[in-house]
Amino acid sequence: MTALNLAAATQITRQPPHLMLAEPMLTMCGISKNFGGVKALSDVDATVYPGEVLGIVGESGSGKSTLLRMMNLEDTPEAGSYHLALPGRENSNLFSLDRFERRSLRAEHIGIVYQNPHLGLLMGHTSSGNVAERLLIAGKRNFAELRERARQSLDASEFPVERMDATPRELSGGMQQRVQLAKAIALEPAVLLLDEPTTGLDVSVQALVLDTLKRLQRDHAITMVLVSHDLGVIRTMADRVMVMRRGNVVEQGLADQIFQDPQHAYTQQLVHAKL
Amino acid sequence: MAYVATRGGEQAIEHAERLFRSDLGTISRDRVDAVRKTMPYLVDRLMGEASLYEPDLAALALAQAGGDLYEAVLLLRAYRTTQPRIAFAQPVTQPDLFTVRRISAAFKDIPGGQILGPTLDYSHRLLQVGVLMGEDFTPEAVPPAAQPAPATQPSLIDWQKAQGIVLDHPVETVALEDIPDVTREPLLFPVPRAHKLQSLARADTGGTLALGYATMRGYGDVHPTVNELRLAEAPVRLRHPRGTIFSAGRVRVSQAEIISKSKNLELGFSATFGWNEIKVIAAATLDIASSQPNPASAATEEFILYHTEPVESSGFCIHFKLPHYVTFQSALDAYRRVKADREASASTVVEKELTSTAG
Amino acid sequence: MKLQELTRPWAAFNYGFLDESAKREIRRRILKAIAVPGYQVPYASREVPMARGWGTGGLQVSLTILKPDAVVKVIDQGTDDSVNACSIRKFFGRVGGVIETEDTQGATIIQSRHRIPEEKLRDDQVLVLQVPDPEPLRTVQSDMPVAREMHGDADYGQLWLILYEQLVKSGRIMQYTEYPSLVNGRHVISPSPIPRWDVLKLNKADHLTILSAGREKRIYAVPPHTRVEPLVFDDVPYRVEDHQDKTCYRTNVTGFFMNELPQDDGSAKFELSDSHFGVKHMRKAEGEPVAIGDTWYKNGKMNR
Repeated sequence: MTALNLAAATQITRQPPHLMLAEPMLTMCGISKNFGGVKALSDVDATVYPGEVLGIVGESGSGKSTLLRMMNLEDTPEAGSYHLALPGRENSNLFSLDRFERRSLRAEHIGIVYQNPHLGLLMGHTSSGNVAERLLIAGKRNFAELRERARQSLDASEFPVERMDATPRELSGGMQQRVQLAKAIALEPAVLLLDEPTTGLDVSVQALVLDTLKRLQRDHAITMVLVSHDLGVIRTMADRVMVMRRGNVVEQGLADQIFQDPQHAYTQQLVHAKL
Repeated sequence: MAYVATRGGEQAIEHAERLFRSDLGTISRDRVDAVRKTMPYLVDRLMGEASLYEPDLAALALAQAGGDLYEAVLLLRAYRTTQPRIAFAQPVTQPDLFTVRRISAAFKDIPGGQILGPTLDYSHRLLQVGVLMGEDFTPEAVPPAAQPAPATQPSLIDWQKAQGIVLDHPVETVALEDIPDVTREPLLFPVPRAHKLQSLARADTGGTLALGYATMRGYGDVHPTVNELRLAEAPVRLRHPRGTIFSAGRVRVSQAEIISKSKNLELGFSATFGWNEIKVIAAATLDIASSQPNPASAATEEFILYHTEPVESSGFCIHFKLPHYVTFQSALDAYRRVKADREASASTVVEKELTSTAG
Repeated sequence: MKLQELTRPWAAFNYGFLDESAKREIRRRILKAIAVPGYQVPYASREVPMARGWGTGGLQVSLTILKPDAVVKVIDQGTDDSVNACSIRKFFGRVGGVIETEDTQGATIIQSRHRIPEEKLRDDQVLVLQVPDPEPLRTVQSDMPVAREMHGDADYGQLWLILYEQLVKSGRIMQYTEYPSLVNGRHVISPSPIPRWDVLKLNKADHLTILSAGREKRIYAVPPHTRVEPLVFDDVPYRVEDHQDKTCYRTNVTGFFMNELPQDDGSAKFELSDSHFGVKHMRKAEGEPVAIGDTWYKNGKMNR
């Protein structure tokens, strides 16, 4: 990071941050979606650069979770395109993939951590098994390798490996999120999606999990999209922030700028309510 | 050395069958007639579960099986498989039914009246032991009514639909030969309505009662009221190749409409051959329970329709009597190996300890 | 002219018991099953004069392919003598007028519950296996429509997970019979409760295998020369039951799947599970000219 120029900090014009000098990893253009007459998303654009964390913040009904689900190819919009910078796929609109291609792409290149561990984990199987399942779906068939990679992934998520064969049911909320994380990063995905990953956890546990996330992201330059209604979480993690309200993006920019100098009335409301 | 010891299986089964049959003695026309005459409700239950209406055949199945209902159902159903299909009957609506018993718990009185018909519902369940002492139990005379009850009654549900109390579902008109037939197609989920009603019509009475009871007691969100229950005779009307519709006779049917007071007033329905009130009430309740958006796991279509199938459930239950020693041997092999592994690793630990203390 | 003169003489039932519409449906399902190896084809599954769970699925397939010149062998747990096998074989004779045999070499149709004979089958023979539960994903997913989707997506991750966790918990694959196997590189099947010993015989076999579940109403098939690969990790080899060194006390034959017979003194004796294979050895030892076919296993090992 270059040293802050205090004089420049008060200006409205913004220099592109260094992360944005590369080609984007994830691009979504013109996403629109209706749910029975309600506009869940109206012409939304989103871009995420390699190695950066994009935070999407908004209240319920903002459309942030719908957008994330689309990034995970779980849902398709009525209009709009989706690109990931994957070798050989730079020009494919991922929404036009068939069922099999979608599943295979999701398995190999996208990781996701859900707020509710029941959505992301097989609760009755071992934690190492949960991670191994990802590798098995990708066609890995060597038991020793599965075991070792599961261990490594859990270790990187700061999960105590001596408990790697406990089932998620036997674990605390924070531990369950770590298993989700290990599972999500096992195949070194192009992008890691997180939907309210710490919401519902005890405050102290939240801090620990966020710590792990931050360290992991920094050490491995993982491209992340983090959705949360909690500005504190966004502030801790995000490089850039997108503020959404009722299916629209009302403001976006560098995290620091959004928090210190919100331009849109709604953003101001959010930031000030928090502070 | 000749291969002897395990032979004789064929003879053994033949003799086992003979032993069963000799206990029952000769099965004559008289015996069949006696079953048909004296056990009409059992015959009805069997015809419903076999989905084959022919009281003589049902009475014969019961006589041949010595009263074992699951054996009798299998006999009748296996017979049914061999019969060709020669025609489809015209659909029958409620006002077409020649109704012998018709009651509603939803209203005190209904258009057409509450007709009690033949029932033991209000009787005292006293065992007439005098019969065993030689005192015949002669039923008392039934005084004729001043006016005969009407042979047919209007449908209560039509009145309710006209009132807007109950949702009217659009009627799907389908050519008779295109009606889905569960006896000729596999049951795939979610099931078409025709398959569901047919499966419930052929369901095991005991199984249906058990699952229906669970629903009534509160596993799930159904609070049933008997809207209309009928025991009737349905005319079997066929179309002659020349076009005339004629009656080929009548069959006894039971039907129940159940209304659930849970969220909206939802309707459940079941009908079957023969007079079997318990089954249709329980089945109609299960109809509603399995149509809910998030049914309890013991009330999903799959759970209900699969586990109330009499031939499949009884057959699978008794199949456990068949030899399973190959499977068992294979499982023993797996467990023995694990045990051997444990003992092997235990002994290496011991060896290590020994060498370490020695060293 | 009377109506009776215009029709055929009355018979209690059709050739092969099932009426023609039932047979037609089953024929079509069998063809579909062969066209998509390992795919479970749903069928109506008519009632037959035998209780469900006792081989009605196998029976319906055999009755459909039965012809007056067929030669049928029926075994249960490997033996022709078991009460259930006798009952089924007699039924074929009764409704099809076919020749009944115990000789694997001589049969054209072999209906079997839980075993594949030790003598190799040829391309002019059909093996019909009785299946209690056709769904290999049952323990992982009890909801049938979801399981069908999983097969459609070739989503077998959770099945592999079961095996992974058996290794983690017990150090060994604990799956005994019904070992999940990949057919033609696409669909995973339950090969029916045949022992692990027998699963290897299905791979690239010369004969056609039809598997049928009557109660669960599914037919699937392994066409000839088709790959059947039990799900195994590359570093944990597939293990058959430990029978390669066992000796049959009647025939002194070694290296085939055995029945274990507990003895009064606490020990165990073993006898060949494929009973007619044993009979042939005994007859041969007595000097009879008996043709014992080539076997899949030689010296206790699967020979490919």
